[in-house]
Amino acid sequence: MTTTLETVREILVRKYSLPIERIQPEATLESLNLDSLDLVETLFEVEDEFHIRVPQDGSVDLKIATVQDIVDVVNRLVAMQKPLQLAGGH
Amino acid sequence: MVTGLGVISPLGNDPDTLFSRLMAGESGIRLMTADGPRGQFSMIAAPVEFDPVQYFPPPQRTDNLDRVSQISIAAAAMALKDSAIPLTDDGKRRFGVSWGTGMGAAQSLEDSYKQLLLHDPDRLKPLTVLMVMNNAPPSHVAIQHGLSGPNLTYSCACSSSSVAIGEACRQIRHGYADAIIAGGAEAPLSFGLYKAWEAMRVLAVPDRANPSATCRPFSKNRSGLVLGEGAAMVVLEEREAALRRDARIYGELAGYGSSNDPAHLTKPSVEGQAQAMALALADAGLTAGDVDYVNAHGTGTALNDVTETRAIKRVFGDRAYKVPVSSTKSMHAHLLGGAGAMEFVIALLAMQQRAVPPTAHLEVADPECDLDYVARQGRRDQNIRCIMSNSFAFGGTNAVLIARQTEQ
Repeated sequence: MTTTLETVREILVRKYSLPIERIQPEATLESLNLDSLDLVETLFEVEDEFHIRVPQDGSVDLKIATVQDIVDVVNRLVAMQKPLQLAGGH
Repeated sequence: MVTGLGVISPLGNDPDTLFSRLMAGESGIRLMTADGPRGQFSMIAAPVEFDPVQYFPPPQRTDNLDRVSQISIAAAAMALKDSAIPLTDDGKRRFGVSWGTGMGAAQSLEDSYKQLLLHDPDRLKPLTVLMVMNNAPPSHVAIQHGLSGPNLTYSCACSSSSVAIGEACRQIRHGYADAIIAGGAEAPLSFGLYKAWEAMRVLAVPDRANPSATCRPFSKNRSGLVLGEGAAMVVLEEREAALRRDARIYGELAGYGSSNDPAHLTKPSVEGQAQAMALALADAGLTAGDVDYVNAHGTGTALNDVTETRAIKRVFGDRAYKVPVSSTKSMHAHLLGGAGAMEFVIALLAMQQRAVPPTAHLEVADPECDLDYVARQGRRDQNIRCIMSNSFAFGGTNAVLIARQTEQ
């Protein structure tokens, strides 16, 4: 089964043409030349990919510095949220 | 001084191709289809042939750039390269961007509403705001080239890019910048925007026998304007600096006139247009007798062409009947906010190449339009000392640019 980390890495490779070996869990987004706008875009992709929604109400801490931080947020939300029934799906 | 030109146009994606096709009387107007809510729909328009991958090779991305940004960035890079201006650290601090558009990123805004209203009210591309804000294109240009001089966007409908060029000239004259890349763009060929123009009943009825001849400025049988898309940018440099570095100079932007028609949102006025032309002449220290070519606003609507003809007569007097006046919109159509810059580029090329492009498809002129419109056939071997480019807009903004050959 594909792990969360693998999927996040796939998204970053697809979206930002990053070499996959650079996307290590401890890598900071800054070291990957990803800025706050890239993070917002990445979360959007992550939402689709994992059928989750990152709430807009501030209930999830979005102080995200590393690739692992993204993975953690995803895992937490997947555990919290029943997978959404998205029209069309993937 | 104008030292660089760049265009993405319905008649080719470089200035020389554009000008040679205009001289040949070629039209970029055609019947085309686009995506509408009930499948494909037909429109008459002048689209650009633009392959984003050519201008933004991977890993560069275009998914966060509206088409209006893409063509502006491409035209700006072309103009900068053409100017061969050295971009030093000091120079970049004194280098600005001045850009105009009527409707900006209309396509992306429309796409965003489509997504929200038809698909999912909670799923919108995260950078939608940054895609659709009207100053996105010039900001991308500034980022790409590291320019930190004034970065200004003007939106006054069909005069937008003329205003952007004229105001940039003032910025340089008044010492706020040494160089500015100026111009504008429009990418209006989306379903919603096309329908909005159609609803106003100002679009020309397609010529079924020959769609490319649909736009017929000054003709007795003209039926309206045709929408086109494109971007045009020019590099303006402070006079002495351009001469010092021995730059190739297309002409000296000598005069800019700006006025307004305060009586009505869409009805043009002879007074306002004449005022802008007279102000531009005065600004240049020239008289109507010095002007050897007028690139008319010439939209092909009933009102514009007669009003502009009268305004030219008022300013030029007897010379109105001697100076060639052509509307190249007959071929590249109406680029709205991008029109003024595109036509200024065309007029500069006319001066440089000593050739006047025609008003295409003009068989029988409206009796009230009785000037020399250079009907159907362009003219070569013309001594053009000085050109005038007219832009008049919904909302009332009139903007006139005058350029002359360089006295070195």
